[in-house]
Amino acid sequence: MDITANELLQITSSIGSMLIEYGAEIYRVEDSIYRIAAAYGFSGGERKIEVFAIPASLIITINDGSEAPLTQTVRISSRETNLDRVDKLNNLSRFICVEKPDIKTIKRHISEIRERRIYGYPVRILSYAVVGTTFSLFFGGTPSDALFAGLISMIVFVVSKFVNKVKPSVFFQSVIGSVVIASIAVLVSRMGLTESFDKIIIGASMNLVPGVTLTNCMRDFIAGDFLAGMYTLTEALLVAVGMAVGAASAIALFSMI
Amino acid sequence: MENILSEIILPCIYSLIASIAFGVQFNIRFRHMLAAGIGATLTQLIFTGFEMSGTGQMLCYFFSAAAVSVYAELMARRLHVPVNMYLVIGIIPLVPGGYMYNTMITLVSGDVESFSHQFAESVGIAGSIAMGVFAVSALMRLFRIIAKQAI
Repeated sequence: MDITANELLQITSSIGSMLIEYGAEIYRVEDSIYRIAAAYGFSGGERKIEVFAIPASLIITINDGSEAPLTQTVRISSRETNLDRVDKLNNLSRFICVEKPDIKTIKRHISEIRERRIYGYPVRILSYAVVGTTFSLFFGGTPSDALFAGLISMIVFVVSKFVNKVKPSVFFQSVIGSVVIASIAVLVSRMGLTESFDKIIIGASMNLVPGVTLTNCMRDFIAGDFLAGMYTLTEALLVAVGMAVGAASAIALFSMI
Repeated sequence: MENILSEIILPCIYSLIASIAFGVQFNIRFRHMLAAGIGATLTQLIFTGFEMSGTGQMLCYFFSAAAVSVYAELMARRLHVPVNMYLVIGIIPLVPGGYMYNTMITLVSGDVESFSHQFAESVGIAGSIAMGVFAVSALMRLFRIIAKQAI
């Protein structure tokens, strides 16, 4: 099956930008695009493709030898982790490499992946609560600590849903989340419902830990993609600092009252 | 007997439940969630094992992170899924939440001496985990390249 440079540009840019958006490593994004292009004969010489990806944008240039090169830039402004879709996109690019389907089939597959179900709000709120509760116990909290950690995690989920509507920076998101956690935890312990607030804060804060970002950072560094690695490392550090700033300011404020 | 329950079994159960909950947050399908959760449990088990054998703390983190990376690479190869799906979940029990919290709390209280101690410890642990993952992933890449050239 033969496709034009323009069609190839369309599918590679949408697959690539989706991969970045859903939390794939950057080297995987570049690798997938090179493989897809190679499957259709764009692998070097006259017909070639160049890809440059960082977590914030994706640039693809295709040269088919006869016309002027085509370039598309995609700016990725928001990312949300969805490893299931990353997996399916991965399968799709493997399928493309083997079967070399026509563009209609690929587009249908892409829109199918985009519409894959995600877990509903009730399940996600519950997962926050479970994470808070179990980690509070894991770090040695009492059952009442764990209970409050779970409740606070649910509140954090709801608050962050509202805060995210204005699209704040990652730093601000983690500051807000952390302030909410720490202030409620301190309040609860002031009211005498639990003995200390340490384990509540630790447990509930685990929901804010940038796990995917850090893992991708390490894997991008290993793959030699230092620019992407630095980008995600900075992001992860900012989130960690934001968590510390938020909790510290809330605790400091309450200790003055 | 009570020690075994509170020091080995309970943390493993907590890791399993928490990692499955994280699987929901990262939108992983149930089939993979369970396997990833078992990875997290194994991590916790290996970590406790090393800790009890008297290995230095940083080495405990290093070896557990290396072990979970091996598990993630193997599972990913077997089930044809991205490695980070298993890696992200499996590494969760190692996150040094307690140390990070203590770093912050000593900073608030203005105790510079214990702050620098806690800070160094958290950074050291994070570094050890990263090094564990680095070591295994780098080796795996090397193997893959060698295998490709051999064919």
